[in-house]
Amino acid sequence: MKPAPLEYLTAATAEEAVTALARFDGNARLIAGGQSLVPLLNMRLLRPTAVIDINGIPELDRIAAADGVVRVGALARYSTLEASTVIREQVPLLAKAVPFVGDRQIRNRGTLGGALCHADPAGEMPLCAVTLGARLHIVGRAGRRELDAEAFFEGPYTTALEPIEMLEAVEFPDGSGTEAVVVEHARRHGDFAVVSVAATGLPARDGSWRWVRIGLGAVADRARYARRASETLTGTRLQRTDVEAAAARCLEDAEPASDVRASAEYRRHLIPILVERALNELAGRPR
Amino acid sequence: MSAQVTLALRVNGRAYERVVESRRLLVDFLRHELQLHGTHVGCEQGVCGACTVLLDGEPVKSCLMLAPQAQGRSITTVEALAGRDELHPVQQAFRDAHALQCGYCTPGFLLGAVALANRAVVLEGAALREELAGNLCRCTGYQNIVEAVERYLRQSAAGRRDG
Amino acid sequence: MDKLPWLGVSVKRKEDDRLLRGSGRFLDDIEDTLALHLGIGRCPYPHARIRRIDATRALELSGVEAVLIGEQVVARTEPITVLRPFPGSATTVFHGMAHGVARYEGEPVVAVAAVDRYVAEDALDLINVDYEPLPHVVTVEDALRPGAPELHGTVAGNVVVESTVRAGEPDKRLAGAAVTVEGTFRINRVSGAPIETRGVIARWAEDTSTLELWSSTQTPHLLRAQLAHCLRMDETDVRVIAPDVGGAFGLKIGVYPEDIIAALLAIDTRRPVKWIEDRTEFFRGAAHAREAVHTLTLGAGRDGALLALRDRYLIDLGAYHGPLGPPLLTSVMLAGPYRLHDAEINRRVVLTNKVPMGAYRGYGQAESNYVREILIDRLARRLGQDPADFRRHNLLRPDELPFKSVSGVTYDSGDYARGLDLALSRVGYESFRARQKEWRQQGRHVGVGMSCYVEFTGYPSSAFLGRTGARFGAYESVTLRMDRAGRAAISTGVSTFGQGTETTFAQMAASLLGLDPADVAIHRGDSQGTPYSVGGFASRTMIAGAGAIEKAAGQIRDKMLRIAGHILDVDAGALEVTAGMVRRRDDPSVQVSIQRVSEAAFLGHPLPPGEDPGLEATAYFDPPSSAFGYGTVVAQVEVDARSGEFALQRYILVHDCGTQVNPMIVEGQVQGAVAQGIAAAVFEELVYDRETGQLVNGTMVDYFMPTAADLPAFELDHLETASPVTPFGIKGVGEGGTIAAAAAITNAVCDALAPFGVELDRLPVTAESIWRALAAARAKG
Repeated sequence: MKPAPLEYLTAATAEEAVTALARFDGNARLIAGGQSLVPLLNMRLLRPTAVIDINGIPELDRIAAADGVVRVGALARYSTLEASTVIREQVPLLAKAVPFVGDRQIRNRGTLGGALCHADPAGEMPLCAVTLGARLHIVGRAGRRELDAEAFFEGPYTTALEPIEMLEAVEFPDGSGTEAVVVEHARRHGDFAVVSVAATGLPARDGSWRWVRIGLGAVADRARYARRASETLTGTRLQRTDVEAAAARCLEDAEPASDVRASAEYRRHLIPILVERALNELAGRPR
Repeated sequence: MSAQVTLALRVNGRAYERVVESRRLLVDFLRHELQLHGTHVGCEQGVCGACTVLLDGEPVKSCLMLAPQAQGRSITTVEALAGRDELHPVQQAFRDAHALQCGYCTPGFLLGAVALANRAVVLEGAALREELAGNLCRCTGYQNIVEAVERYLRQSAAGRRDG
Repeated sequence: MDKLPWLGVSVKRKEDDRLLRGSGRFLDDIEDTLALHLGIGRCPYPHARIRRIDATRALELSGVEAVLIGEQVVARTEPITVLRPFPGSATTVFHGMAHGVARYEGEPVVAVAAVDRYVAEDALDLINVDYEPLPHVVTVEDALRPGAPELHGTVAGNVVVESTVRAGEPDKRLAGAAVTVEGTFRINRVSGAPIETRGVIARWAEDTSTLELWSSTQTPHLLRAQLAHCLRMDETDVRVIAPDVGGAFGLKIGVYPEDIIAALLAIDTRRPVKWIEDRTEFFRGAAHAREAVHTLTLGAGRDGALLALRDRYLIDLGAYHGPLGPPLLTSVMLAGPYRLHDAEINRRVVLTNKVPMGAYRGYGQAESNYVREILIDRLARRLGQDPADFRRHNLLRPDELPFKSVSGVTYDSGDYARGLDLALSRVGYESFRARQKEWRQQGRHVGVGMSCYVEFTGYPSSAFLGRTGARFGAYESVTLRMDRAGRAAISTGVSTFGQGTETTFAQMAASLLGLDPADVAIHRGDSQGTPYSVGGFASRTMIAGAGAIEKAAGQIRDKMLRIAGHILDVDAGALEVTAGMVRRRDDPSVQVSIQRVSEAAFLGHPLPPGEDPGLEATAYFDPPSSAFGYGTVVAQVEVDARSGEFALQRYILVHDCGTQVNPMIVEGQVQGAVAQGIAAAVFEELVYDRETGQLVNGTMVDYFMPTAADLPAFELDHLETASPVTPFGIKGVGEGGTIAAAAAITNAVCDALAPFGVELDRLPVTAESIWRALAAARAKG
């Protein structure tokens, strides 16, 4: 399986990347880690006229915490996220999610931005983005704009990114003091999730939770923030009854499909089970 | 006719400059342009890991990189490990533990293990198995591979302590 | 026979140095600047008429040398032969390329030879094939339905063959049984999936009109014979060479369409033609395996004695009968290691629009073990007996062997119950039930499952194979040659694909010739310069190869003794060969080195009068019988009764493979087979969509081969009962690990969920299938 003919260009700045995209009138693709893109090229499922390599854009992989926000450059690789103290302490959900992605080699190349733009409905990065209410920073020919994660993901492998735009950075709220858990069921290790659950929250000193946010992956056409279920947990102590009720409510945000990994019915069955597991773990109880 | 790129990179410590087709996969470049056949192709989908090389010391799947993406980078393949007469300690560990049968997946595992040792990582059991999950083997059932890598990582750590 | 110094020694492998260095020479490592590269256009439909092929634009593409279409292939070649045509089988006409009709998704329809693979694929993009999709069938039930499309005019009702094994009076015994259980089981379609895909390089030598084919094959000689036949050439004009092979497991046996295509294009273009299978092609072209549906009935007496067995099963062959096709051993081994005299086993091999089936490690034995061992557990449960006790009662005892099974094969030797007991003691079975009860009270569902097997290894003689229609023998052969320096070289047609033959053959020869294995070189895998060989499959290589080595080495040893006797002026009968020397048994100081003896043979003197120079022998060995290995797998699982998720906590295999030539290699083979057994039991399945007939998951991403993180550490124990019927008591060892995994794990899950009355009847065992089984059990009860 070899790629169809293509041109290879590099971009030294975000502006250059966007200009190059414009030049090819939507028939070019940005290549970052390539872990999702190159298999598609190899199978000729994608046949861009050109690929524009953005791996050389300086500072595009920076992680910086300031003003209550952690800004992560789109080019930040999974391995960088794994090793980052800032991420571990201030975006702990991301730190918990990254080990579920692929394998060591894939994490050495794959990027946060690439994963978000690829928008796999089972992807861990989109799941974290919507669960945390991340804000995505986009640059296009007309300048820069920002989008909430939920608005960014439009459907399976579909985002609000225009053909002549590039994702530049992702801002996560500073999660210092929060707890985070990711739970997945997959057919084998490192594989795409059959059902994934992200749970994160801010515990108060008195044992209650200021807020809890639950995200669901692989159970709809895109990652979902289970808003209503999450809101029921505000101020609770995450006791078993709270947990079970929230888990049941999560079904409202799910529209799972059947595929070779699992049927829709089984996914529906798993959702409350995994949500309970995640919340129990968040609360410090055995799963 | 596909576009071309002049590629300058280092492979196993040597500098190379070649004109390559833009779409040429890095693994094909290494194997057929540089005649380094130790890196193998198993899937071209980034699953089996037989194509694993070290990119600036870190394991990556070379079937998932276009050759031009290696511009200015340093690649290590399995051919860099052994001396003329002696095997590299990781290779010796694999031999001693009977951690290879057909040998097709082996170079990928070797390089992954070397990368761990270079980062002074010592792992065993389930944690090590997770670290190795990016390389598939069909012959061994993994048990002897895990044993070989465990032993090699322990020896490397001891070597660093003592030396 | 003198003691064999290298038998049973874990000698480190000769193969390792080059493989570890990355200097192994696999098919794609062979470079030829003149070579053209093949791209093959394949039918995307399960069944379609090929109306028109337009390759005009492809031929105009720079770098494209030639295009081949089905019409040409059919005109110039014979169909692919069946290596073992079961008597009474209808034939399918399987050409190297489809013409007129394609019958499976993946069947070759057009081929392009170009300067490299990238350009070949560009050319394929430019070829227009006009397909007319036809009605398809992708399940055996659909294929047998009245009105189903008939896939071959030569195969009525899509049934290639039907056969029945019958012994005793099974109907009567079942009718009189105190308890009978019946189950219908679906066995998954899987792929051996070696990490190296298939590949071939064809070279035509114009001056001699001969063809040279490099192939990633297990069977150079068989491939040569088949390819010559297909190309209408003399076998002597075809040479097949296997380089290092990156795993095979049964699917690299015999000729494939791509071999024929590459050969024709090499002949046409007068350039070497190379084809490297990519993984997308692999899942749609390399032999599939195992898929079958069984309806099995077992009957027992109130006392727990097995009385009779009846099985009706359907094998899903795919669209053509390939060189090997469907397994025979399912019927042959269905009764397993138990005392059974009454059985009826009806087998039907059915065509579907899927990739043709071939051999995969175990080749019928995993299938028979699965259905039988699950029903044995159900039978035991119905009788209120512990499954281990039930088995002990019914396992053949050593004093009952040799035992002629209901299928007519004779189990030679073994202590089946000992294997079972050893495995059970490893898992702590004695105390397990008590612990299980405690766990249940805590809401934890832990179960133990077991599966006993007896394994057919090797082939019982060429005559036997011939009676069942095989076009190959059961023998193996070697040429063994000493050189002037007193070292030996073995030439064998067997290729190496991981099973360590280079090392084990060297050990055998070294043991017999008083050498060190390091002094025995192996030349392998080339049909030229090696005596006729069958190849590496059916766990036969060591058995037959050891016999051939023994014979050849015997001839050489006898000659060494004669030459030494002449040099030492001692009677040859008073001498022995040992550790680099030939010496007097009763006075070791009277000695001459093997090197000196070899040199004499090379120089032509000093030799005894009438003795010819040279020191070499070619020998063939035809095993008189099959040897039967056996074993027990015990698995322990914990199941989450809410989600169906389960963890394989322990996996114990106790096996007896007879005399072990190299215990380290044996263990490696067993571990690998176990991993594949678990993979097929719990992870893998090739899924076809019934409506579209399409293969749904033909990619590495969607075909779930387990990683190191998915498999537990296995606990292996072995017994060593030397076979009375093979050289040195060796039994085949490469396949056993695959046999009992599915049944042991299924039984463990059902044991864990016994309070719920769960029954599992299909593979793979997944969290979802367990959840469904729980729901079904709840609905029933």
